[in-house]
Amino acid sequence: MPRCAGAPIMPDERIEKGQAPTGPSTGEPAGVVASAAIGFLVFLLLTTGLLTVGSGGSSSRPVDQPVEFNHRLHVEDVGLECNECHEFAESESFSGLPTAETCAFCHEEAQGNSPEEAKLVALLSGGQPLEWGRLYRQPAHVYYAHSQHVSVAGLECERCHAGLAASSRPPRRVRKLTMDDCIDCHEDGDAESDCTTCHR
Amino acid sequence: MARWGMVIDLDRCTACQACVVACQVENNVPPTGADQAELGRSISWLRLAPHGEAEHGTRPQMHLMPVPCMHCDNPPCTKVCPVQATQIGEEGLVGQIYARCIGCRYCTTACPYTVREFNWKQPDFPEPMEQGLSPDVSIRPKGVVEKCTFCHHRLQVARDRAQLEDRPLAEGDYVPACVESCPAAAMTFGDLEDPNSEVSRLKQSQRAFQLLEELGTEPKVTYLSKGEWGGQV
Ligand code: HEC
Ligand code: HEC
Ligand code: HEC
Ligand code: HEC
Ligand code: HEC
Repeated sequence: MPRCAGAPIMPDERIEKGQAPTGPSTGEPAGVVASAAIGFLVFLLLTTGLLTVGSGGSSSRPVDQPVEFNHRLHVEDVGLECNECHEFAESESFSGLPTAETCAFCHEEAQGNSPEEAKLVALLSGGQPLEWGRLYRQPAHVYYAHSQHVSVAGLECERCHAGLAASSRPPRRVRKLTMDDCIDCHEDGDAESDCTTCHR
Repeated sequence: MARWGMVIDLDRCTACQACVVACQVENNVPPTGADQAELGRSISWLRLAPHGEAEHGTRPQMHLMPVPCMHCDNPPCTKVCPVQATQIGEEGLVGQIYARCIGCRYCTTACPYTVREFNWKQPDFPEPMEQGLSPDVSIRPKGVVEKCTFCHHRLQVARDRAQLEDRPLAEGDYVPACVESCPAAAMTFGDLEDPNSEVSRLKQSQRAFQLLEELGTEPKVTYLSKGEWGGQV
């Protein structure tokens, strides 16, 4: 799991690496040397881990998509609003990904001659659901609701999903908000910042 | 600003433990198994504590009382946490941030109500149970302390719903699972700051007392009883 720079080690990791706060200590010098060595290894792993994932706060797990969807084309050229495809952003905690019907509205028959569109038309005529892979997911211990930010606070999607509307291929990585990102805006916007506002 | 509290009427409570079960299910509390239970390491966020005595030859005077986290206004646990993993929030809920917890267990020792539980093992949910896990509550890893949250994940959702509908939170919008499950309606939950709420009204009762109130922890759980423990335990 990527973690924000400077965040403490998850306790379960500590325990797996033999640094549990419990258990009798051996008292043997060899044990001390061994645990010091393990400690150093853990340190190395952590620093390199932080160097690779820390700064951007992004997720780069590759996901399979049924077709290569082009946000820029549909948002800028076709002029669709985000909520026509992500229709739950205003009312629910999640935004949702579009169903086959949404695409079939325009792609029952091919509009152009791109091979990706041909693939989509074939998929749609086969009547299968489109199973979009999802990239962005908060850790399970964080509560986040789109409705709260989109409808109540009236924020633009761009504030948190910068660059997505301008991308022409499904993202390989999405910019993820760190806890600092969330709290910075909360403090500016006078929203609550108790730990239990976001953690569960 | 609300201040959340609970009232438990012991004269209504039948000790059926519906609240205990509702709590385990709602909060993904893992079953620890018999071997761990033997070591005193089973986990429950809400337990029925026995009180009273059974002298030989007399009718036993035994009472069972549900004991959740008291969400004290003056909590001893938050003061001893070296990493601020447990803090009292603006609305009086004592939160536990598992990702922050280092498992030192100072808080479990500091709590006079012994409602804080330590995860000695990586939680393991046997086959069909896995499918019933709630996505609204995260699963605590081995090595951290957990406890009753007054189901604050329900507050998160209720608050968002109310704001979306552009109205203040109404009484009953946010109720923990135990209170909701009680078949005898012995448990009541609400805003202690609101003088018209049911909890505020019940708290005024002659029968009201708090657990170990002499410690000055200022618990937000109040008990009601006509019995001899009225006023003290
Ligand atoms: C025509 C439909 C359509 C429109 C309009 C649209 N999207 Fe999407 N969006 C998709 C599809 C399909 C996916 C999944 C495939 C992918 O990742 O490209 C997606 C994925 C996303 C994701 C990544 C989700 C994840 O975690 O993998 C974000 C964020 C997103 N869209 C935001 C937006 C925003 C912001 C807008 C408006 C500027 C917008 N979308 C407009 C169809 C649409
Ligand atoms: C409002 C109409 C509309 C909707 C709804 C719509 N599209 Fe399109 N789409 C278009 C248009 C117009 C084009 C451009 C066709 C062309 O000229 O090649 C296009 C092109 C495409 C292409 C070819 C893009 C390329 O880069 O060559 C793909 C793939 C595609 N759409 C997928 C989808 C998917 C998947 C959905 C549902 C999530 C969807 N579209 C929903 C109007 C729409
Ligand atoms: C305040 C920041 C913020 C704003 C504003 C925001 N999002 Fe998100 N979005 C997130 C976060 C955080 C996630 C990851 C959510 C999770 O893990 O449940 C996410 C996830 C998503 C996803 C992934 C799939 C899903 O069902 O949630 C889509 C699609 C998405 N957002 C679209 C949008 C659209 C469209 C808008 C504007 C109407 C929008 N978002 C506005 C923060 C934001
Ligand atoms: C760009 C600004 C911004 C960002 C980024 C942001 N939030 Fe918020 N959030 C707000 C505002 C403003 C509100 C208050 C809305 C209101 O009540 O009017 C809010 C409210 C909330 C609430 C409801 C609390 C309440 O006051 O009722 C939660 C929970 C929340 N945000 C979680 C998150 C999480 C988790 C993240 C990071 C993943 C995040 N937010 C990022 C602006 C932001
Ligand atoms: C506005 C929302 C918000 C608030 C308030 C908040 N957090 Fe967080 N926190 C998050 C998000 C989002 C993440 C996940 C960040 C990520 O994925 O990198 C997180 C991650 C963490 C982590 C790191 C976990 C890990 O996996 O490394 C810790 C520890 C943590 N929070 C503790 C706290 C404590 C303690 C407080 C109260 C002082 C608090 N948080 C308040 C949103 C919040």
